[in-house]
Amino acid sequence: MRKSHEAREKLLRLGIFRQVDVLIDTCQGDNALPNGLDVTFEVTELRRLTGSYNTMVGNNEGSMVLGLKLPNLLGRAEKVTFQFSYGTKETSYGLSFFKPQPGNFERNFSVNLYKVTGQFPWSSLRETDRGISAEYSFPVWKTSHTVKWEGVWRELGCLARTVSFAVRKESGHSLKSSLSHAMVIDSRNPSILPRRGALLKVNQELAGYTGGDVSFIKEDFELQLNKQLILDSVFSASLWGGMLVPIGDKLSSIADRFYLGGPTSVRGFNMHSVGPQSEGDYLGGEAYWAGGLHLYTPLPFRPGQGGFGELFRTHFFLNAGNLCNLNYGEGPRAHIRKLAECIRWSYGAGIVLRLGNIARLELNYCVPMGVQGGDRICDGVQFGAGIRFL
Amino acid sequence: MSLVAEAFVSQIAVSQQTAFFVVRKGDFTRIEEDSSLFKAAEPWPENATLYQQLKGEQILLSDNAASLAVQAFLQMCNLPVKVVCRANAEYMSPSGKVPFIHVGNQVVSELGPIVQFVKAKGHSLSDGLDEVQKAEMKAYMELVNNMLLTAELYLQWCDEATVGEITHARYGSPYPWPLNHILAYQKQWEVKRKMKAIGWGNKTLDQVLEDVDQCCQALSQRLGTQPYFFNKQPTELDALVFGHLYTILTTQLTNDELSEKVKNYSNLLAFCRRIEQHYFGKVSSSIKLS
Repeated sequence: MRKSHEAREKLLRLGIFRQVDVLIDTCQGDNALPNGLDVTFEVTELRRLTGSYNTMVGNNEGSMVLGLKLPNLLGRAEKVTFQFSYGTKETSYGLSFFKPQPGNFERNFSVNLYKVTGQFPWSSLRETDRGISAEYSFPVWKTSHTVKWEGVWRELGCLARTVSFAVRKESGHSLKSSLSHAMVIDSRNPSILPRRGALLKVNQELAGYTGGDVSFIKEDFELQLNKQLILDSVFSASLWGGMLVPIGDKLSSIADRFYLGGPTSVRGFNMHSVGPQSEGDYLGGEAYWAGGLHLYTPLPFRPGQGGFGELFRTHFFLNAGNLCNLNYGEGPRAHIRKLAECIRWSYGAGIVLRLGNIARLELNYCVPMGVQGGDRICDGVQFGAGIRFL
Repeated sequence: MSLVAEAFVSQIAVSQQTAFFVVRKGDFTRIEEDSSLFKAAEPWPENATLYQQLKGEQILLSDNAASLAVQAFLQMCNLPVKVVCRANAEYMSPSGKVPFIHVGNQVVSELGPIVQFVKAKGHSLSDGLDEVQKAEMKAYMELVNNMLLTAELYLQWCDEATVGEITHARYGSPYPWPLNHILAYQKQWEVKRKMKAIGWGNKTLDQVLEDVDQCCQALSQRLGTQPYFFNKQPTELDALVFGHLYTILTTQLTNDELSEKVKNYSNLLAFCRRIEQHYFGKVSSSIKLS
């Protein structure tokens, strides 16, 4: 029974069947064994081509999103998806081809082609990325590894006439060709508002040795630990960090650096508005760390228990972090000292709403502390939506 | 998660911040506009910089002419400026055209706006002219921009021989493969579209050279035997004409027809030599172009 259930789960995960039913019956027919069982899987396939159409409104922009999916292109669960987003300000599209290894879904290969435009008002920057990437994922014991090559043509531009000269100097075109490797160990259960388990993600990227004119080594990691306490509450600790080392004598580009701050990062500060800045435009930094301690409890008096109320949690947090540029002549001791001085931190409480199995919304009351000159804070109520929270 | 859904989710997060942010940025801009009058009266700083593309390998004929015109103008006004070459100068410029100057906190691009900016700071070359002469000066500057500059652009981007041998390689030189080809083709398509819009799409090279000849004839007649276009003192028209003619004379192209057209007029040659000696004599070899 258990094995047939596992087989059913595997078939559903391929993403090519609308429905999988398992029928177990005693053997019948000529070749029947005396104590044998017939296990029949009845499946209904998805349509060969599915489309979707959405409209999205947000942040002073409206857009129309068209999606096309071929879930089983060549008969072995290859998937081709195409997404096109046409907005009042920007247009983006992406085409992706995904192929799992037959019989071994965890090993898969995908190729993506995309054009994405983003506007970043905290740096007065507009970035258009046109790129192609190829990645291969495979499991090793309990971990999942992904090896990827990516080639991106980046175009940076200014969002306003009053942009600072430091950001203006970064305008123009560049080509990044990079190899990256990511390792993920995820034992959380479930992955949104987990009750127990841990997550470790480590990502390395080497750019410049396969072409392009941008050259660096980038390392970043994400760690999260969860432990269930009495009365249905969960204690969670998380730590993020990263470092960017440019290779050669060219300075790092604003599109590669790390940013800190915002409702999904150190709460109480404006989105990406911490650290080095020039005339109000945030330039990002080459090294950062951020940590958080959280206590999640069910809503007081547990309204809607067992139903709608389960999607909400109250949330008490303590966040801290720092972001800076490194002067590589000084050595690692000086770097650690720099990251340890002038730490920004904040504390507060709020409500978290879980959206499906991927995203969450938060409404928090924050008290930012350790604010340095140049940081923009959001003390008081802060709203956040996203997939990845500190 | 899909690209689009991710963008959507991050947009919600940003919207709350942006409301807070926009209020602040608005305040900043208002204060800056009120004080623009004060800023204009600030003296010309020591560290004024002019940005253009890389001189040796990248810059093209038309951009070099524009840059030289601005440099000549600032020299004539006796305002010091440092020339800095950057590969992304065209994209740094607020209007997308080179050259641009960075003075204090202001960034101004192209000769016309730079002349206005410098006038607001109290320096002007055309104060001594009366209304009729000013109108005439504007008309001749329009002539140079519509004829000479457009002819330069045509020769650079629409003449297949020049495009293949010189322009394409120079324009893409700071970028790695395949970006060098993509950007060069993109720019060529843009210029050809502009040519079609102004009616030069169907002109042949000979017709364009004829137009250049007529333009030089008009300039030569206006100059006559005077040292500058408006007798004793140079004006922005002199700077503009010098920039274009000098660059045409000293740039090596696939054929020499363009510079031959200019060389037919001896008073224009003398004019260029005079300005070079008077205003650039001290800076000497930096003017020689490959």
